[in-house]
Amino acid sequence: MTEQNVRELLRTGGYIADEAIATAVFLALRMEKPILIEGPPGVGKTGLAKTLSAVMDFPLVRLQCYEGIDEGKALYDWEYGKQLLYTQMLRTQLDTHLSAASSLRDAVEQLASEESLFFSQNFLVQRPILRSFLSEKRSVLLIDEIDRSDDEFEALLLECLSDFQVSIPELGVIVANNKPLAILTSNGTRMISDALRRRCLYLYIDYPELEREVQIVRARFPEICDELAHQMVGFLRKARELNLRKPPSVSETLDWAEVLSILHVARLTPAVVANTVGVISKHQADLQKVVELATAELT
Amino acid sequence: METIITRFVADLRKEGLRVSPGESLDAVCALAYGGLEGRGSVRALLRLTLVKNVHDIPRFNKVFDRFFRKYPEGMGVDPADLLHEAIISMEGEEMLGTNPEMVNENMSLAMVDAGLSPEDLKDLQSLKEIPLDQLDGSEIEIRLKGYQRAMEAPRPSMRMPQNPVTMAFKPPAGQQRDLTFSQEELDAMQDAVSRMILRLKKDIRRVKNKENRGKIHVIRTIQKNYRNGMVPFLLELRRKRKQKPRLVVLCDVSFSVSHASQFMLLLLHTLHNRLMDVRSFIFNAELAEITEMLSNSPINTMMEVIDSGAIVNLDDNSDYGKVFLTFKEKYLENLRGRPAVIFLGDARNNYNKANDWVLEQVREKAGYMLWLTPEDRSLWKRGDCLIETYGAWCDKVEFVKNVEELNVIVEDLFRNIYLEDEHRSMRSINKAEEDQGYDYRDYYTRGGSRSEPGFDPEGRSHW
Repeated sequence: MTEQNVRELLRTGGYIADEAIATAVFLALRMEKPILIEGPPGVGKTGLAKTLSAVMDFPLVRLQCYEGIDEGKALYDWEYGKQLLYTQMLRTQLDTHLSAASSLRDAVEQLASEESLFFSQNFLVQRPILRSFLSEKRSVLLIDEIDRSDDEFEALLLECLSDFQVSIPELGVIVANNKPLAILTSNGTRMISDALRRRCLYLYIDYPELEREVQIVRARFPEICDELAHQMVGFLRKARELNLRKPPSVSETLDWAEVLSILHVARLTPAVVANTVGVISKHQADLQKVVELATAELT
Repeated sequence: METIITRFVADLRKEGLRVSPGESLDAVCALAYGGLEGRGSVRALLRLTLVKNVHDIPRFNKVFDRFFRKYPEGMGVDPADLLHEAIISMEGEEMLGTNPEMVNENMSLAMVDAGLSPEDLKDLQSLKEIPLDQLDGSEIEIRLKGYQRAMEAPRPSMRMPQNPVTMAFKPPAGQQRDLTFSQEELDAMQDAVSRMILRLKKDIRRVKNKENRGKIHVIRTIQKNYRNGMVPFLLELRRKRKQKPRLVVLCDVSFSVSHASQFMLLLLHTLHNRLMDVRSFIFNAELAEITEMLSNSPINTMMEVIDSGAIVNLDDNSDYGKVFLTFKEKYLENLRGRPAVIFLGDARNNYNKANDWVLEQVREKAGYMLWLTPEDRSLWKRGDCLIETYGAWCDKVEFVKNVEELNVIVEDLFRNIYLEDEHRSMRSINKAEEDQGYDYRDYYTRGGSRSEPGFDPEGRSHW
């Protein structure tokens, strides 16, 4: 498989990749390294992982990060309730089992030999990372918005992502059956540590070039004519330069394209923008600026 | 092939990028895997493996273009070709030496040496027109630095004829400004800060103890007492997440506030990472983050670097509007956990665009905003001072005239932040109700009266 193949493959999933994105995916597959994707919100970071999972037929395992996430939520956890229940239920069984023991010492030793029973795979809850490591076939492991988590969690990921293994004190080291294609996304709300960066390929996805964005629109909404696509993408690119609170992103472009195609709009006019401005701008303060831009640009 | 990468990486490091050996190894692997079709693909491959930060991408591109400049685009790339070309391009560069186009015909060689432009000379000329006996040190300095906006800016003598604060912070004219702190000064400061930290720690311990007296964490308690047959001998209490309060400091280092800012930096340096997460920025006309420097280098070295203008250009006039804009674009998104934001500066914007709308957005992210100015209140309305515009978005504007005051204010603030954490959730609910329909621009008329803010015995102002 070459980088060109990757690009075509992604295109079948409706994802228009540029050279850097295709190269990153290609390398990640070959080198079995995670990709760390940064960029403004809504430019297709998560979308890349989803598309990859769809076109390559890898199951998608998603871990959404948040402040305070810990290993119990990301790697594994013990099922305490089940453990307790089993102890209760097995009590009678235990009595008969231990009645064979001749002395207390014997009984203790017998019990000790069975102790690890409660810390076995039976009582282990697999959380996303472990689940993707132990999955039957190669999977896409999406660690979304890593920048929302804390430093401790980031450190926890280091072992998982460089060696694709998880250490569980009671069980030992569990190595991945199939190394997942790991994709980490970050909106840059916090600096990710150098240690983690070093373990990853680094991909920065910016707002796409005009032509690529037009292609993205056309790929998803073929009913939108080339002229309209150019017009709306051009307009949004201007809007991005307005210093808005929340600049419209590719996801907004697509939402807008959908709205325009539902409304059977053939050409952008200030009136059309004014009626649909809520789709591209999500801040009260921004609405006015976008409408003003429309009056200035589209008449 | 390996040689190319090594040399390329060496170039990147020279440009200030941090590339680890592991990453260069990755790059070699990647090139071996990759199709190597065309320059774009090579660039993408190298960038993916060697650059780990958005801000480094432009520098990477620069080095890449320089390194492969001689390479004609569109040819199929063979690694051997690459190596060959790379060597040619590098050696050719050395042969070229300095670029003759850089030397402008209008400039004499001496001027080129001194790095002076014709405009600079014109400024020096205009200085002669002022009678010498009317000049003091600060006047010359402002004239010299103000040449870019000579037409708009009022004459310094109109602006602040006798500014006591600037005088207090500035050593007498003619005397060389002390760039570094003496050992005694350092010791005294460390002493003061240490005492402050001890006092604060007591408070903090009290807060933390209270925090720990929380509810029982059932699962953890059971887990902990597994070996005791689930009899809860050892309790595990739910505790609030351990969190250092966060602090963001933007410090003006332009000449007019330099003495205050130096002490501020010294204070930050001592506090850094001991009590809180501090992110520090310095600015003049541009903004630069110095957090890493604060934790890594000794204070005097840092001061020297800042004073040499290596981080931000000290010859510019401070431009708050531009700095706020940069701050919004590059760092505002990174503010997490509702940090306290402190600005230190005189808010003299040199008639640039104010951009105070940025502060509204900072306000939304910040838990607390404080503006420290070394200028007395009577001077706030004069000239290009925007402190009332900026101050309107802050929780408090304080006037600091010396280090002791700075200490008191910062200590006050820290105590506030720590103790506030306790009640933050409660307070934020109350505040939300209170804030409805509240315009921060009403700030100066808070409490319904239009009276001037009062001063407490220590000379600090409160609204």
